[in-house]
Amino acid sequence: MAEKIGLYFDESSLGGFLDLEKIAESVKNKWGDLCAVIETHPRLASADGKAKIQAALDAGTIDAVCVCGPTPRVDWEFFDFGENVLVDRVNLREQCVLSYLDPDGRELVLGQTPEALHAMALDYVNMGVVKLQKATVPEAEIVESVKTILVLGGGWTGLTSALDAAKAGHDVVLVEKEAALGGAAAKMYKTIPLAHPYEKAHPTGVEDKIAAVQADERITVFTSAKLTSLSGMPGKFEAVVSVNKEEQTLPIGSVIIATGWTAGSNEYLKPLGYGTLKNVVTAAEFEAMAKAGRIARPTDGETPEKVMFLLGFGDSLLPFAEAEKAAAENPEEPVKSDDDEEVVKDNFHAVKTYRHLPYTSELASVTALKQANYLQEFCPQGQSYIVYEHMMVPGVNELYYKAAQDNPGVMLTKGFVVGVRDGGSGDVVVNIKDSLLGENIEIKADMVVLPTAMVPTTAQDSVLKLQYRQGQAFPDLELFDGFADSNYICFPYETRRTGIYAAGCVRQPMTLATAEVDAAGAALKAVQCLESSNRGMAVHPRSGDRSYPRFNLLRCTQCKRCTEECPFGALDEDEKGNPVPNVSRCRRCGTCMGACPERVIFFDDYNVDQIGSMIKQIDVPDEIEEGGPRFLILACENDAYPALDMAAIRGKKWSPYVRIIPVRCLGSVNSIWIADAMSKGNDGCLLLGCKYGEDYQCHFVKGSELCNRRMDNIGETLGKLGIETERVQQMQVAIDEYDKVPGMIDEFVAKITELGPNPFKGY
Amino acid sequence: MSKATRIEPDLQFIKELQEVGGADLKKCYQCATCSVACPLSPADNPYPRKEMVWAQWGLKDKLVSDIDIWLCHNCGTCSDLCPRGAKPGDLLAALRNMAYRNLVKPTAIGKWMSSAAYLPILVGIPAVIIGIIWMIRAAMLGTFFPVVDGEIVYGNLFPGDFTIDPLFGLTAVFVAISFGVGIKNLLDGFKKSVTPTFVVGYKKPSLKDAVVATLKDEILTHKKWKDCGEEPGDEEKFKGHLTLFYGFVACFIVTSIVAVSHWGGKLFHFIAPLGHTPMPLWSPVKILANIGAVLLLVGLTYLTRRRLNQDPDKSTSSYYDWYLLGVIWVVTLTGILSEIFRLAGVAPLAFTTYYVHLISVFMLIAYLPWSKLGHLVYRTTALIYARYVGRLPIEENLIEDDKILVI
Repeated sequence: MAEKIGLYFDESSLGGFLDLEKIAESVKNKWGDLCAVIETHPRLASADGKAKIQAALDAGTIDAVCVCGPTPRVDWEFFDFGENVLVDRVNLREQCVLSYLDPDGRELVLGQTPEALHAMALDYVNMGVVKLQKATVPEAEIVESVKTILVLGGGWTGLTSALDAAKAGHDVVLVEKEAALGGAAAKMYKTIPLAHPYEKAHPTGVEDKIAAVQADERITVFTSAKLTSLSGMPGKFEAVVSVNKEEQTLPIGSVIIATGWTAGSNEYLKPLGYGTLKNVVTAAEFEAMAKAGRIARPTDGETPEKVMFLLGFGDSLLPFAEAEKAAAENPEEPVKSDDDEEVVKDNFHAVKTYRHLPYTSELASVTALKQANYLQEFCPQGQSYIVYEHMMVPGVNELYYKAAQDNPGVMLTKGFVVGVRDGGSGDVVVNIKDSLLGENIEIKADMVVLPTAMVPTTAQDSVLKLQYRQGQAFPDLELFDGFADSNYICFPYETRRTGIYAAGCVRQPMTLATAEVDAAGAALKAVQCLESSNRGMAVHPRSGDRSYPRFNLLRCTQCKRCTEECPFGALDEDEKGNPVPNVSRCRRCGTCMGACPERVIFFDDYNVDQIGSMIKQIDVPDEIEEGGPRFLILACENDAYPALDMAAIRGKKWSPYVRIIPVRCLGSVNSIWIADAMSKGNDGCLLLGCKYGEDYQCHFVKGSELCNRRMDNIGETLGKLGIETERVQQMQVAIDEYDKVPGMIDEFVAKITELGPNPFKGY
Repeated sequence: MSKATRIEPDLQFIKELQEVGGADLKKCYQCATCSVACPLSPADNPYPRKEMVWAQWGLKDKLVSDIDIWLCHNCGTCSDLCPRGAKPGDLLAALRNMAYRNLVKPTAIGKWMSSAAYLPILVGIPAVIIGIIWMIRAAMLGTFFPVVDGEIVYGNLFPGDFTIDPLFGLTAVFVAISFGVGIKNLLDGFKKSVTPTFVVGYKKPSLKDAVVATLKDEILTHKKWKDCGEEPGDEEKFKGHLTLFYGFVACFIVTSIVAVSHWGGKLFHFIAPLGHTPMPLWSPVKILANIGAVLLLVGLTYLTRRRLNQDPDKSTSSYYDWYLLGVIWVVTLTGILSEIFRLAGVAPLAFTTYYVHLISVFMLIAYLPWSKLGHLVYRTTALIYARYVGRLPIEENLIEDDKILVI
């Protein structure tokens, strides 16, 4: 708890638009000795500025630092005075002076501070002071980490991850369910080129990787093995592996899941002749023939001369799509049980969908190019026809496409498949419309090759066998049709289970080249996780954060909201239903804190009382006419808060009656804060958070969605108090929507102004 | 899908096309920049994009009956702009080369025309025939280089009546018949392949209209061609071709006058002197002949220089191109030198040069239907046909007003 706060104003970033003396005087009068030092400095972010603060700290004059000036997003590390000194930053530049919109439409004049601007600045400074007052230096909880990394899956990705992790100095346990290592790569005849000039397919080289893994002393390989249980937390996992039906218990630090894919169901290929026409095969079957040394037509065993590769399904997938849509609209009611003990012990849902075919389209494209070239190897006068709806060869594979295209024996056209039928004596006739070749055409081929869908193993099995309160598997994988993926763009290897990183085709269909990079990325994440948990720090996305949620269990009512809502399954339960935290699983988002109706959950430097006290610092005038209305904005510090900063830097302005408080995540917003704000006479409360739903952008995956759900409950409470529910709203902002966010504020302010003053004003 | 056309790709055809100038055809990825950029390509079913994909798929049937390859004047704009270096302009030229090679039998001649390896045969045939004539006449006259009254008269060694005229006459008949067959084959193909075009407010032209328009816009003025390409090289090519064309026209007129007056003179004696050779330099016919020779030289210089300056990444010249240019160079130079040596009175040089001249003229004429010069007939046929059926509407403003419908 800060008792002697040093309050420093940076003149260089405030441009003389604030009356700092007046603010200092108010603060002094209000807080007395709490603010042991109040100083202004012409340029605080300088060696001299920093030395002054350091000197005060060293002399013991102050024990916490409050820098009033630019947004905390600049010079954060410059104002770092070691892990035992609390620092807060009051954003007077972007979210006060720069964004100030004068209620009377006047321009700011140097040396004259309008009353509304002064009031806003003073509120923010008071908030900064109380924020420090209500915070303590977090005391890290260190997890004695095991440095062994468990790699699930001994295919291309798993082997690479194992080698990378071993190279980084970690012991590795590699678990492969088959009797031999190599996975899908070992079944391939050749791979698309992995090196310059990217023109010719070549053997995969997976044997070399296998040999390297087997020769590595740090890597222990279990084949014909399965993970049957994974409990504990990052740094302190306990894995039970069944090897030839014998169970072994292993201490594990972090986990890489590289369990890959299996070929999808061929039922979706039936409309294209698979199953009825014998010489219609899948890419996987064609690859197996090449691997066996001979391309042979299933009907007569002859090597075909004309092979068509279809990279498109025409309308043939539509019936499946309609059936799946209908099924989604009328879901079968799951058998519900009221027995608490039964709740979500198994959160795994198998996903079976035709969509795995289109998801594989990039791989199908490059594979068709590769296999079209195979034909010439096995039959020099062979002709390969590739008919595609979309030829997808992103990145460097374009070079391979060019090379394949240069081969006279490989003929390509865009086209829409209309039908596949028997052409007699084993031949297959394919009808195509809208092709580049002109009118409706048909082509007779000796054999037709259809794409193989890559279905992630996580769509078929829980794989992880987690002994977590929330269930065995990754949650919500239905969103990705079973792919182990949590934040595709920002954090590709992250999953919703801390310390468990997905790589390779289990998270996205990918080539060996991409899988190799993926494997390295996941290995680095696994190492980072170990090196964070043993320092008591969060890994991601609040990397380095040493705070963690603490529970005042005496007041806990065992409502289980926190254990159910934690997006990362960090909390288990004891027999009585009390939450059991697992600190290194936690990402410090505070969703549990937002969920708790008894407010028993807190962080040392972020808690319900702290934010509540900050809200109380908003000086709400008794009459709107006498000083304007007041609005509270709780802004997600990951996206909405930076968007506001960027808007201000780009000259956007908004109402001077809003007060913005950053929160770790909207998930951490406790409804008491809103009740506090409204009962204190604020006219409205706006929650600015990330997009949620299928294309969510929330750093903590579920935070903004949960907040939105809680809003319904808050609405009820407000209704009972006689406050219009519209006064509290949640809006979704992406980090790049700085151009829109001032408009959102304006819209909100206008709407609330129409409603008139908060009835609680003045009490 | 009863209307679906069965596609029969022909791998061999692709490889042949690559050999005769379409080496990069496989690089096309169908962006259609070429068809958009082409200043001549019709709005509907434009070329050369579709020819590129047909070629990649070895669709020989479609390509050999494609009229559009003759509408292209090979300015190379498409090849310049092609993002993949697939050289569509070269492909169309290659397709024309394939047409020269295969349109008419004996296709053996077509094959001989396709590669330098067969050049000795092509040179050998006239060299032997004319050589034998020379031997016989030398035996009769007692000298290889006869000089009568101090004058060199080529007709003394190679008299028209019994040697050269029958030889070239028969050759001309052979060429005419071959072209007749070629035109028929060409038209049969067009009838199958050209989509009927309906143009709003456009009356279908008569055959005469089509012929007149072709002569006026294409042949005599090269007007269409002038629209083709904007590079300095295109201008050079346009000028070179036009000059060369009029050079040939002049030489053709001169040859016709000589032939008509010689053979007609046997019936109507009064016209005989008109074409009596050798002519005095002041003779209007001789003046025309010399103007023709100069025009040929100028045209050849333009065209050769352009080809030498071509960027090999954009466009390449095939053997067909160089063969034709080479033969015309030899015809022109030996023709001029024959005259100079004759006037200078250097008999051995004069007769030898004239011998080479006769060989090259034979090569130019006898192999005409299989050489690039065959475009003289085939392109003209295609251009007339294209106008006749509306593929190239005569009234161009209709194209600009976008009133063309393909039915």
